[in-house]
Amino acid sequence: MSENVLKLSSMSMQFGGVVAIDSLNLLINKKEIVAIIGPNGAGKTTAFNCITGIYTPTNGVIEFCGEKINSVKPEYITKKGISRTFQNIRLFKELSVFENVLIAMHLRNKSNLFFELFMLNVIENKKMIDEAYELLDSQNLLQYKDDISSSLPYGLQRKLEIVRALATKPKLLLLDEPAAGMNPQETMELTEYIGKIRDKYDLSILLIEHHMDLVMDISDRVYVLDFGKLIAEGTTKEIQNNEKVIKAYLGESDNA
Amino acid sequence: MLNKNKLINIIFATIIIAVSVLILVYLDIHEKSFRYEISIINKALVYAVIALSMNIAIGFTGLFSLGQAGFLAIGAYVTAILTISPEDKISVYYVDGVANFLQNIQFSPVVAILIGGLSAAIVASILGFPVLRLKSDYLAIATLGFAEIIRAVIATPQLNLPGLKINMNRITNGSFGLKNIPNFKSSLECFIYCLICIVLMIFIIKSTIGRDFRAVREDEIAAQSVGINIFKTKELSFIISSFFTGIGGGLLAMYLRSIESKTFSINLTYEILLMVVLGGIGSISGSIVGSFLVNVGKEVLRFCDTPQNIFGIQIPIFRTGFRMVIYSILLMIIVLFFRKGIMGGKEISPKEISKFLKRTVDKFNMFINRIKKKKGEIR
Repeated sequence: MSENVLKLSSMSMQFGGVVAIDSLNLLINKKEIVAIIGPNGAGKTTAFNCITGIYTPTNGVIEFCGEKINSVKPEYITKKGISRTFQNIRLFKELSVFENVLIAMHLRNKSNLFFELFMLNVIENKKMIDEAYELLDSQNLLQYKDDISSSLPYGLQRKLEIVRALATKPKLLLLDEPAAGMNPQETMELTEYIGKIRDKYDLSILLIEHHMDLVMDISDRVYVLDFGKLIAEGTTKEIQNNEKVIKAYLGESDNA
Repeated sequence: MLNKNKLINIIFATIIIAVSVLILVYLDIHEKSFRYEISIINKALVYAVIALSMNIAIGFTGLFSLGQAGFLAIGAYVTAILTISPEDKISVYYVDGVANFLQNIQFSPVVAILIGGLSAAIVASILGFPVLRLKSDYLAIATLGFAEIIRAVIATPQLNLPGLKINMNRITNGSFGLKNIPNFKSSLECFIYCLICIVLMIFIIKSTIGRDFRAVREDEIAAQSVGINIFKTKELSFIISSFFTGIGGGLLAMYLRSIESKTFSINLTYEILLMVVLGGIGSISGSIVGSFLVNVGKEVLRFCDTPQNIFGIQIPIFRTGFRMVIYSILLMIIVLFFRKGIMGGKEISPKEISKFLKRTVDKFNMFINRIKKKKGEIR
């Protein structure tokens, strides 16, 4: 029981009459990398938004480490240990790389106005800053620490977003199209990187991706969505040979 | 590396403060001959506090709140009522007399200003709940309306609430305003009050709380995803901003010595907004520079109001009101050439100054080189 980190049981999400997700069952075990794939508009990002609390699912249960987290607010979900990145990069654009990481560490810092004004938490703040240094150093971003984050090259912005998510010390990391807009070389590096952080921080990772190379390389299991419905699940091999999946991606042949 | 930088900054700030104190002490000693200059400096200092407090909401948290005049009015009136001496109250409230519970109250200015700030903060915390759910322009409209309500409530002779009639004349003296508010004893006193406020605000902005503010300004969804409670952060920013605005109002009341409801019209908010925008949105030193620029600039340009003789010929356009024309033109020039304000989100620090000097020298060298090249071509 304690092995599965995230468990969705027949979760549905409706917007008015539109069923974005229709009773999705999903399971992520510890240290597993799971991918959700599917054509555009299949409800992948909606699933992410339900898990991170931006939407409250209309039906079903979301369990994180055995705890029900339906309708918990996004910031508390992050505190519980689910962290995410976004499809279109959402960094704090005008702030430096270092500040971006530091802000993500605030949630573990028990500070309030009184403490700040009278500098009663100097030690805690110092610890936080040291941790941020350490994290940036271990991810090879220390040389950019004073740069404005929007001035970084695209690939590094993607990486910084992942590092920022790591700074909240998550148990489960949700990556929304981490390789979007990357060339094959960068995608390969990213694939390696995701595997590395999984091993280093004991993470479970759920990712949405369109680059099949990446998905097939690192995922332990794959879920395939189409029009909000789960049409297949299994290991990468099983998915590659699944008829329904091929049909969803390539369409039916006329002479069938 | 980080500590070295910090140390340099602290030394730099100390030098600036020490120099300002020395200048002010000199001015205070020769008070009789520098009365005019002292008044301008005090005004600019008070406005610097107010502009910086507005910058916390607008520049650092991205809350486009235009309720500044309302909070100023609260702070100013509370301070004024609490500091006017009991003897003076009789002559100030000459219309309906002063309310009984206020008659014998007199606090020292520091306590009165603090109470003024707290009252503004309490009003802000209540107002924040409905208003901070609005975004950008709508927030501006709502807070603007709030400021007008406060002004109207102060000016009204009698407040008719359901089941309760409050004679405002006996509390705020209605539209007659309050007079005989004790002034600063010296410009040094004013400087110390303002310095404490500014330093406290800098502490807040530089702390984890200030960083949260900026995160919310940059991207609310991303801020939420790293565990920041958006509403709480906005509310806190709004309260802190209003608290210091209230304190600024108290200082303003002490500077002006007499206040009335018309002092706190929308124009006051716009004037402060001008200082913030001119100095640079999201820059601490920018707000202070902006305040000095606007206040000193207005006075320096006073010569435009009187007829000027150049080489014995009287220039016809120099007459009353021409000052504001020049002032507006200068503002337009600044806004055109410094899109992000004079400081542009940067701070005055040794590091930035050395960078700036380096850039200027580089530009100068390039200029020289170009001239040399041209000369060479001609030859």
